[in-house]
Amino acid sequence: MNSSRLYTLPRVLEWSIRIDRAPALLWIACITLALLPTWVWMARRLADGSDDPLGLLAIAALALVLWRHRGRLRVAPRLGWLALATGCALLSAMLAGALPPLATSLVALAALGCVLAAFLPALVAAAPVIGLALLSLPWIASLQFYAGYPLRALTAEASRWLLAPFFAIERMGTALLVDGRLVMVDAPCSGVQMLWLGYFTACMTALWTFRSSGSFLARLPAVSVLVLAGNVVRNTVLVSLEATGGASAAVHDAIGLGVLALVCGAIAWVMADEGERHV
Amino acid sequence: MNSKGGLWRWLASATLGCAAAGLIAAGPARAQEPEPRLKTESPYFFVKSDDPSVDQLPLKATRVDVRISGVIADVTVTQQYRNEGTRAIEARYVFPGSTRAAVYGMNVRLADRLVTAQIREKQQARVEYQKAKTEGKTAALLEQHRPNVFQMNVANIMPGDDVRVELRYTELLVPQSGTYEFVFPTVVGPRYNSPQSADAQAKWLSQPYLPAGQATPSAFDIHVDIASPIGIKEVRSTSHTVEVTEKDDRHAGIALAAGGGAANNRDYILQYRLAGDRVESGVMLYRGDGENFFVAMVEPPQHVATAAINPREYIFVVDISGSMHGFPLDTAKALLRELIGGLRPSDTFNVLLFEGSNRFLAPRSVPATPANIERAIRTINEQGGGGSTEIVPAFRRVYAEPKASPDVARTIVVVTDGYVSVEREVFQMVRQHLSEANVFAFGIGGSVNRHLMEGIARAGMGEPFIVTKPSEARAQAQRFRRMIEAPVLTSVKARFEGLQVYDVEPPQLPDVMGERPVIVFGKWKGEPQGQVVIEGRAADGPYRQSIAVEGNTSRDTAALRHLWARHRIQSLSDQEAQEGGDRQRAEITQLGLRYGLLTQYTSFLAVDKVVRNPVPSDAVGVDQPSPMPQGVSNLAVGATVPGTPEPATWGAILVTLSVLAMLARRLRRQRAGRFTA
Repeated sequence: MNSSRLYTLPRVLEWSIRIDRAPALLWIACITLALLPTWVWMARRLADGSDDPLGLLAIAALALVLWRHRGRLRVAPRLGWLALATGCALLSAMLAGALPPLATSLVALAALGCVLAAFLPALVAAAPVIGLALLSLPWIASLQFYAGYPLRALTAEASRWLLAPFFAIERMGTALLVDGRLVMVDAPCSGVQMLWLGYFTACMTALWTFRSSGSFLARLPAVSVLVLAGNVVRNTVLVSLEATGGASAAVHDAIGLGVLALVCGAIAWVMADEGERHV
Repeated sequence: MNSKGGLWRWLASATLGCAAAGLIAAGPARAQEPEPRLKTESPYFFVKSDDPSVDQLPLKATRVDVRISGVIADVTVTQQYRNEGTRAIEARYVFPGSTRAAVYGMNVRLADRLVTAQIREKQQARVEYQKAKTEGKTAALLEQHRPNVFQMNVANIMPGDDVRVELRYTELLVPQSGTYEFVFPTVVGPRYNSPQSADAQAKWLSQPYLPAGQATPSAFDIHVDIASPIGIKEVRSTSHTVEVTEKDDRHAGIALAAGGGAANNRDYILQYRLAGDRVESGVMLYRGDGENFFVAMVEPPQHVATAAINPREYIFVVDISGSMHGFPLDTAKALLRELIGGLRPSDTFNVLLFEGSNRFLAPRSVPATPANIERAIRTINEQGGGGSTEIVPAFRRVYAEPKASPDVARTIVVVTDGYVSVEREVFQMVRQHLSEANVFAFGIGGSVNRHLMEGIARAGMGEPFIVTKPSEARAQAQRFRRMIEAPVLTSVKARFEGLQVYDVEPPQLPDVMGERPVIVFGKWKGEPQGQVVIEGRAADGPYRQSIAVEGNTSRDTAALRHLWARHRIQSLSDQEAQEGGDRQRAEITQLGLRYGLLTQYTSFLAVDKVVRNPVPSDAVGVDQPSPMPQGVSNLAVGATVPGTPEPATWGAILVTLSVLAMLARRLRRQRAGRFTA
C-alpha cells in the first residue's frame, strides 16, 4: 500500500490533519516528557549536592525565551530540526545504561534544544538555544574533574609570569610558592564557574541581539579567551594579596565578583557587536 | 560582520589559545630551574573510623617507675596494649624519651608468658620482626629514630589480648646551680618535615595527633623514688601537681596528685636540692666482668662577675612558625624582651624571624640603644605564628650576614620549640661555622625537642636553655647573661694520678659555661686508688681541684657500664652528624650490640614462640595517636593553605544577571531610539 492510497482512508486523513495542526507547545511538551529519565537523573544530581544548581538558570532562560516568543512560534516546524530532535530523543533512550548518564543526558538535552529550534521563529538562531539546553546539564563537577587541572595549571603559570617581577615565585603543579608562602590554585580557583557563566552570558546576549548561529559560533573562542584571561587576572590579584599578608573572604569575593562583572560585560560587548544579525 | 571577519576572529582566538597552552609546555627561560620538590611525610590529625572491628586506640596505659639513687636514675616504662576490637592489629606508637637515656632492656608480658627482648642490628631486627608478624606470632620491636624519639611496634595483638611491654633505661642526673632535675618527656611534638631534610621520607614523622585540647584516652602515671646519701630538700615539679608520699631525710616518694588533669601532654619535670645546696661530687667505680667503669663528677667553681666585658654582637634567630602560635610565641616574646632588654649600649644586635621564609628586622646589626631595643620588641610583639619551620635556611642567612666588625665576638641565640626533622643538618652547619659564632639554644614550651637544643649547644659551644612558661623567662635570661659575662671554667683538663684509666669520655673537656659539674666517664684497670685532678681557668684565676678515688666498688653502680657506652655513642653520633653520612655506623652498632643498648643502628626485638594468629594477613596496622603538646595549637599540624577561590555561586549568578539586565535595558533603549528617530 503506497502513501497516496492512505489519504483515501478517512481516519488516516483526519489524524494526519490533527497531527499537523497540533500546537507547537504540545510537540515541545511531548519531547520534554520523553526525556523524563534525564530530568529525574538531573533532579537527583541537584538534590544530592554533587553539583551547583547553575543548570536551573539555563532551564529558566530557555523557558523565558519560549515565553518571549510564545505568540510567534512556527505553525509548520522546521522538519530537519524536528527530525533531529526525535532522533536524539530516541538515541538517548537507546544509550541509557550503555553510556554514562552525563553522555546520554547530553544527547537528550540536544533533543530539547533541537525541538525548540524547530518551532522558534526564524530570527532566533538555533545554536544559542541548543547551547542553553546543553548548559542546563550538571557540568560543573565533571568539568572540574576533567578540565580543572589544566585550567588551574594554566592559570597558575600565567600568574607566575605576571608576578615574577615583584615576588620570588615558583610554581609547583597548581600551587604557587610566593616569597616562601604557599598559595593553592585548587579546584574552586579553576575558573570553571566563570566559564559556565561566560557561555551563559554569550548565549543570552546572542539570543537578545538575534545573532545568527554562524556569527555566534565564530565568537565562542573569544568568549573562552576572555574567561581564561579574567580568571588569570582574578587569580593574580588574589595571589599577590595572599603573598603580602592575606585578605578576608569578603575581599576575595568582592574582587572575584568585580572581575566576573568585567568578563561578562566584555562577552556581552563581543556578542552584541554590530555584525551578522537577523535584524 | 562578514565571513572574512569571522575567519579572522577564529584565527586570533586559536592563536591566543595555542600561546596560552604553550606557556605550560615550554615555560619561560630561566637562569636556574628550581629543583623538583620532594614529597615529605608529615604529621596529620587523627580521624576515628566508625569500624567497630578495629581498635584504633590500643595503648590503654603508660606507667613510669623511676628510682633515683644518688645521681643515677633507673627508669622502667610499662606500656599496656589491649585490643578491644574483633580483628587482630599491629600497634605502632611513636613516643619520646630523655635525651640522656641509655635504653638497655625490654621485655613483653603476654598472659602468663614473659618474652625477653634481644638487641639486634636494626635491619636484621626489622627482617625478623616482619617474619614473626607474617608467621602470626606476637612480637614487639623497639627502634630509635632520634636519641629522644623511639617507636614501638607490636604485631599480632589478638582480640581481647592484654600485652604489656616494659622498657628500661638509665640516665645520669647532672645538677645545675645545685638543682637536680629529672625530666620525663611524654609526647613527641609534631615535626615539620622540610623537603630538604635527609629524613623527608621518614615514616615516623607521619603520625597522627589529636586536636589541641583533646585528651588522649590512654592513662598515664609516673612515680619517682629518690634515695640520696645526703639529705634531700625542696622537692618540686615545675610541670605537674605532685604529692610527696613518703619522705624522710634521705628518701622521698613522689606521685602525681589526683585531679591534676591530663598529665601526658608535656614534659614531666621534677627538681630537688640536697642539704646545704651540695652537689654529689666524687668518683663512682664499678667493677664488672672483664671491664671496670668510673664516672668522676667535680663541682665547678662559683660564678664570678667580671667588670670588663668586651662588646659583643648578638643575633637572635626566632621561630615564628605555626607550632609557635599562641602560648609558645608569647613565652618567646617574654624571653626576648628580657634578653634584648638586658643588652648593654656597647653591644649590637639584630633579630631574624623565620618560618617558611625569614627576614631580618634591620639590614645590619644595630647598637643596643633603648630606641632600637624598643623597636625590635614592638616588631616581635606583632608576630602571630604561622607557616612552616625552615630552620636551616635561617641559619644559612645568619652566617652569610657579615659581622658588624671583625674584632667583635658574635653570639647567636636561637629561640624555637625545635619541632623539625633536620637536627643533623643544623648541627653540621653550626659546627662548620663555629669559628664565626657560638650558639645558644632556647627551647620554648612544655614538650621541647631537647635533642635539637642540646645538640645545637654542643656543636656551637654554647648552652641549652628550656623555658616552659613566661614566668621562667627572667631567670633564664639572667642565667644566659651570667654565662656570657664569663664562662665558669675554660681550658679544662682532667688528670688521673694513681688510677690506670682508658677510653675516657669525652676525650677533650668542653668549657663549663654554667654552674654544672665537670663530668668524666671512663674505664679503669688495676687497683682502685689515686685521685682525679681537674684543672682549668676560672674567671678569678687558675682553678685546680682533686678528688680522691675511694676503693669501694659496688654493684649499685652497674649502670656506669651503660652510661659510659651511651656517652661514647653520643660522641660518635655528634661526629657523624658533623661529618655527614654514616661513617660511625659500624662502631656505634658494635657498641650497641656489645653493651645491649638501643641506638640509631640497633633495636630491641621480642618474639613470642607461639603462633597465635592463623590469618596474619588480616591484621590491621594501627597508629596510636599522640595528644597535641600543651600550649601548642592545631597550626602545628595543619595550617590552612590560602587559596584563590571563585566567588560564591549565588553572588556570581546575581552579578551575571545584573550585567545581562543592563544589556537588555540598553538594547531596549537602542530599539526605542530607532523607532523614534
